[in-house]
Amino acid sequence: MHWLRRLFRKEQSEKQLDAELRFHIERQIADNFAKGMAPEEARRRAQLDFGGLEPIKQEIRESRRGHLLEALFQDLRYASRLLRQNLGFTIAAAITLALGIGANTAIFSIVNAVILRPLPYKDSARMVSLSTHTAMYPTFSLGLSWIDFQQIRSQASSVEQSAAYYESEKTLTEKGAPAILSLANVSDGFFEELGASAQQGRLLTERDTRPGQSHVIVLSDPLWRTRFGRDPSVLGRSVILNKESYTIVGVASRGFDFPEKSEAWLPLSLSPADQQNHIFFMLQVLAKLRPGQKIKKLQTQLETIAQRTMKDVPELSAGYSFSAVPLLEDRVGDTRGAYFILLGAATLVLLISCANLASLLLARGSGRQREMALRAALGASRGRLLRQGLVESCLLALIGGGLGVFLAAEGVQLFRAIAPANTPRLHEISIDSSLLWFSLLTSVLAGILFGLVPARRAARMEPNDALKEGSGTNLGAARSTRQSRLGDALVTVEVALAFVLLVGSALMTLTVSHLLHQNPGFRTDHLLSFDLPQPPFDLSADLSAQAKKQSEQFKGIVDEIRLVPGVAAVTASDHGVLSGMTMMHGGLKVDGAITSKEDRHASARYVYPSYFQILGISLVRGREFTERDTGDAQAVVLVNEAMAREYWGTNDVLGKRISMSTDGKGKPVWNEVVGVVADAREIALRDAPSPVYFLSILQGGNGSVHLLVRTLTDPEALQATISRQIWSAYPDQPITHVTTMNGAISKSIGNERLRSILLVVFAGIGFALALVGLYGVISYSVARRVQEIGIRMALGASPPSVLVMVLRQGLLPVFLGIGLGALAAFSLGRVIASQLYGVEPSDPATFLGATGLVLLVACIACCIPARRAMRVDPMVALRYE
Amino acid sequence: MAQEKSEFLKGTLDMLVLKVVALGPIHGYAISQRIQQISKEFFQVPQGSLYPALHRLEDRGWLSADWRESETGRDAKFYTLTRKGRKQLETELVYWERLSDAVALILRAAE
Repeated sequence: MHWLRRLFRKEQSEKQLDAELRFHIERQIADNFAKGMAPEEARRRAQLDFGGLEPIKQEIRESRRGHLLEALFQDLRYASRLLRQNLGFTIAAAITLALGIGANTAIFSIVNAVILRPLPYKDSARMVSLSTHTAMYPTFSLGLSWIDFQQIRSQASSVEQSAAYYESEKTLTEKGAPAILSLANVSDGFFEELGASAQQGRLLTERDTRPGQSHVIVLSDPLWRTRFGRDPSVLGRSVILNKESYTIVGVASRGFDFPEKSEAWLPLSLSPADQQNHIFFMLQVLAKLRPGQKIKKLQTQLETIAQRTMKDVPELSAGYSFSAVPLLEDRVGDTRGAYFILLGAATLVLLISCANLASLLLARGSGRQREMALRAALGASRGRLLRQGLVESCLLALIGGGLGVFLAAEGVQLFRAIAPANTPRLHEISIDSSLLWFSLLTSVLAGILFGLVPARRAARMEPNDALKEGSGTNLGAARSTRQSRLGDALVTVEVALAFVLLVGSALMTLTVSHLLHQNPGFRTDHLLSFDLPQPPFDLSADLSAQAKKQSEQFKGIVDEIRLVPGVAAVTASDHGVLSGMTMMHGGLKVDGAITSKEDRHASARYVYPSYFQILGISLVRGREFTERDTGDAQAVVLVNEAMAREYWGTNDVLGKRISMSTDGKGKPVWNEVVGVVADAREIALRDAPSPVYFLSILQGGNGSVHLLVRTLTDPEALQATISRQIWSAYPDQPITHVTTMNGAISKSIGNERLRSILLVVFAGIGFALALVGLYGVISYSVARRVQEIGIRMALGASPPSVLVMVLRQGLLPVFLGIGLGALAAFSLGRVIASQLYGVEPSDPATFLGATGLVLLVACIACCIPARRAMRVDPMVALRYE
Repeated sequence: MAQEKSEFLKGTLDMLVLKVVALGPIHGYAISQRIQQISKEFFQVPQGSLYPALHRLEDRGWLSADWRESETGRDAKFYTLTRKGRKQLETELVYWERLSDAVALILRAAE
């Protein structure tokens, strides 16, 4: 503790050290004198024997424990004094860094929460999600059948635990407005595998899944809080779901939400028929690998099981297989790439701010050459000077990083607020200590990165040259050239990085604008859409009676809506328009098709009469559905032009027949084509028109109904009125997803829009920083060359020629930067190609535009110092020395 | 010859200093004089090594120091051996003896 005390009593210990050494010298002098030397000689010899006082003191200081800390304190004090002295520089530098570090930290916290952090379940790293692939639906991942699930459970030895579930929705009608609950029907072992626990009551067990057990339900914490007011007495109470009663047996612990957004859990109990059905591809299977087992091993085992199943069950065609994907990958999906692009963009911003600071420090460093030289001459070692420089830059970076943390925290909040609700793991994004650590680390790295070159330069200085330079004329010319070359290189790097950012953000903005202005092929104005969720059919009761009742109620609702003033027309389809969801049908039988292709699939939609008229999709041939196309009439179908062309090569296909199913005896059920409609992008804006066929919702349907209302007045104003009208007649009818079509369009491109906004912000910051850097380097070099310019002008150089000289010097690194940036952007194009729509990653107009913009602004940045140079008065310049 | 005089085996200076201080409280100048005298002028302690060594030993807790009046009446920094320092000196002496025995053995054997 000795040395720590000394740290604080430094002055005293310095004094004592001095006294001790002086005592020694004086005794030596006295002894020398006593030996008979002359006083002068005695003093001289003593001092000669002793050697330099300072180096000994320094050695003693450095040998003390705590010396490094002490020196660091000293450096810090010195650095902070310097930073305080140049407050303007410090503020500019701190803001530059705060932008870079803030952008990086914010994006990193998001990436960390979404992609890097394991999912919040027990041993989630070992969990994989399984799916089935068949030749019939080659591009789709299907769920597993119960039989396959059981096979995998018993035969895949690399699996430690597994559970199956499927997601469904049911209508809760009890207290207040009816609500749709997102449910998961889960098999035994589900909660155990995920490591879930109950905060009230119990979770589901194997017993609950046995047939004949009474209906039970486990609530999620949010549902319990919002719908049941955290009432602990809910246990044992019953709730009504789809008009059936379920007993609440427990509430899951807070934060447990698997599958994502599920509000309650029911036991998975399948009928014996479903359990034996090989094509009942309904179940999501969650398997946990044994510790140390590789996913490869599981895939081999799955292959064996699939081969055996294929042999046992001839209906399953070749190409039957299972796949296993890590759960995290399954959850995050294709947003991964988008996040990495953003992280890359943020890193570019940080690199630009580092380059910027390096050039600022270089410029300032040359102003401090004499100070450094003086310190070197007074005995400061190179290592010490280097450390001093790094301490200074790191301190600067930490100040910037501190500001950056605030920016990042704000940024993360903002992201949470504006990110589309379907962003995976959105609610897990939060501001936590990882943000702090990351920014600390980034700051120190940045400090070293931008401080190292200037600090090395300062430390390498030959004191002799530098001291002379100050008083001489142009002795440091060689070094100045080297210095400006380094400055130019930094400008080149900055411009290149900024160019990449500009191109990237422009491409993303074009993508969004293409999507926004993509002609969807139907009228989107004055169009309101909402879902009328219907309870699924009870498979054990009379199906046709249920269907009849449902379609009657549906007709009644449509009639109610028509009563609302301002409503022009009402229609419906089974899937939301632009929801990206569609039913894909494979194995179509097509009458008189020109292709003999075995694998025929198309999207299917069930629509209500007047669907095409109301959406504004033109009828090319034939007629559309009417109220008479019911189950009793001839089964009919409409196709879009894409389908007509693909299967028959002509639009003239009225009277042709398509079969998508068979009756009970294996005989195809034929639907006659009665109309052809124009292609429209009603499924997803991004998808090019693909074959779609339409069936009358009155001849089938699957219970799911999305209403479309064409209005005469502002559709938004009518939303509430329509809901009230429906509830007045059908008080237990749930209504969800109420939105205007234009609202749905902007929602369907929400992710792209957010990404492009972020990229534009990053590009803006990066671009601005690069320009500031360019301006700094040019004006510094002009300031340094004032004398030279003065001489040139005194010798007859015209102001324009000076301007050209400055511009040429300033723009050369800019051109180089643009060239490098274009190369980089071109080769990075592949990376972002998958995120683009309607624009090539190497879009020439974008590249040209970015080049023009950079050049234009770079010219302006050069012109201000250049004008100053033109106005140099030769006399003043010459006297400058 | 001056060159030869001032050479020290690494680590031996510490031991010599400890040994000299073991005789009683003493200041830096006296230590350098004492080493010079006892070694019959063979060792001349360079101040550039002596004072860093003294401070190092003090830092390690083998020596303690205080300011008291010197023989000339001026205050000087006197070093005293601590208990820890005495132990250290003992280990170093044992080690030194073994080392010099070993060296002597080798030299004799090589004759």
